[in-house]
Amino acid sequence: MQAALALPILAVAAKAGAAEVGEIGITTLGYKERGLMKVTEPVLWGRVELAEVWEIEASGAIDIVTGASPELVTNISGKPVQSVTGASINDRRTTGNVKVTRRFGDYALAASTAHSNEEDYHSKSWAVEGRADLNRRNTTIVASYGEAHDHVGSSIDPTLNEPRDTREYLVGVTQILTPVDIVDSNLTYSRGHGDYDDPYKLTLTFYPDQILPTLLPDTRPDHRDMFAWLTRYRHHYASRNGTLQAEYRFFHDDWGITAHTLEVGWEQQLNEHWSVRPGLRYYTQNAADFYAPVIPRPTPAVLSSDQRLAAFGGLSPSLRVTWRGADGWKVEGTAGYVQDSASFRLGGKGSEAFATLRAVYGLLTVSRAF
Amino acid sequence: MTRLAALAALVALCACTPVAPYQRGYLARPDMALTADPGTTRTTELTYEAKEAARGGASVGGGGCGCN
Repeated sequence: MQAALALPILAVAAKAGAAEVGEIGITTLGYKERGLMKVTEPVLWGRVELAEVWEIEASGAIDIVTGASPELVTNISGKPVQSVTGASINDRRTTGNVKVTRRFGDYALAASTAHSNEEDYHSKSWAVEGRADLNRRNTTIVASYGEAHDHVGSSIDPTLNEPRDTREYLVGVTQILTPVDIVDSNLTYSRGHGDYDDPYKLTLTFYPDQILPTLLPDTRPDHRDMFAWLTRYRHHYASRNGTLQAEYRFFHDDWGITAHTLEVGWEQQLNEHWSVRPGLRYYTQNAADFYAPVIPRPTPAVLSSDQRLAAFGGLSPSLRVTWRGADGWKVEGTAGYVQDSASFRLGGKGSEAFATLRAVYGLLTVSRAF
Repeated sequence: MTRLAALAALVALCACTPVAPYQRGYLARPDMALTADPGTTRTTELTYEAKEAARGGASVGGGGCGCN
């Protein structure tokens, strides 16, 4: 009798005390640009804690890219415009990464590696990370170092096989401010050297006093140093059962590009299982020093008309709906729209040849915590 | 100037009054997480990085791709 009475109590206690030891999920992205590229990407991801001191995180993904991409910028019509040459893309990229963390009380060390392979690009990278919880675990500081060793190829030039090597450094702090406020700020710096040219992009310029035009392949500097400062903030409004999520990133590199990214979201808890999160992302950048849609005379040593290096801005609204079950299941769907335009650049003066990009994307995640 | 501001913010943060473990119920909410799940984070980052010059800030060691 006593044993039978004890069983339900033990069962309840076991469930209340059960800690989540891992999570596994699959996320699928569908992305489509108006008239250009389409991407489908399933990602399988998971993490597990072992013996309370080890954590292993891993993910694998396949990128399936089809459609077309602007390859030529020409002023044959009098003004420089993006032109799709008609060649279609059919590319598949496989990626995988693993991260192993070992905790030592308030400290943790981690090591990770990532690989990515596609027809014209191969990447291998690794990183190490140290983390310390301070101030009664109200403050976490992190420092990381990573290296990437990539090889750039071309589907139209089988002889192309150039290296690109990058070293990355990160320092960051996460701080609990109040019972309803948390902020996180990271500084990252990377130094890269190697081939940054896009082997598929060309600039074709006609001059009024010259019969033959000048054709220049995309030619960029053989180095790129980048600096990024990312700050993330969360504030929970208990009376409204909602949370403000805000992020800002400052970016600058030695190509002369300065960019700002601001994203704001509001996650509203509707009931025990459902929440919705509308969000808005704004992005603005100026042009790279060597960006030009028209080849000047004399022809410079470096020049690119790739509009990703132009001056433009972007707006991206999104809506996320999440269902969380009582037993660790989660189903989450996100729908988003992206519009990049010269007129969205902060302060105006976007690049004249920038062709407005319009795209929609959808994400679906199914996951289970256990 | 930006680096000085970052350092000042870091020093200022360390002066906050600690929040005790029993006061952290709201901080454990899923919507208070600083990142979405790994799949959502990865795919949305790549969506934007493929069309923009800026990248990075959240982590290191992720490798590259031919998309940018």
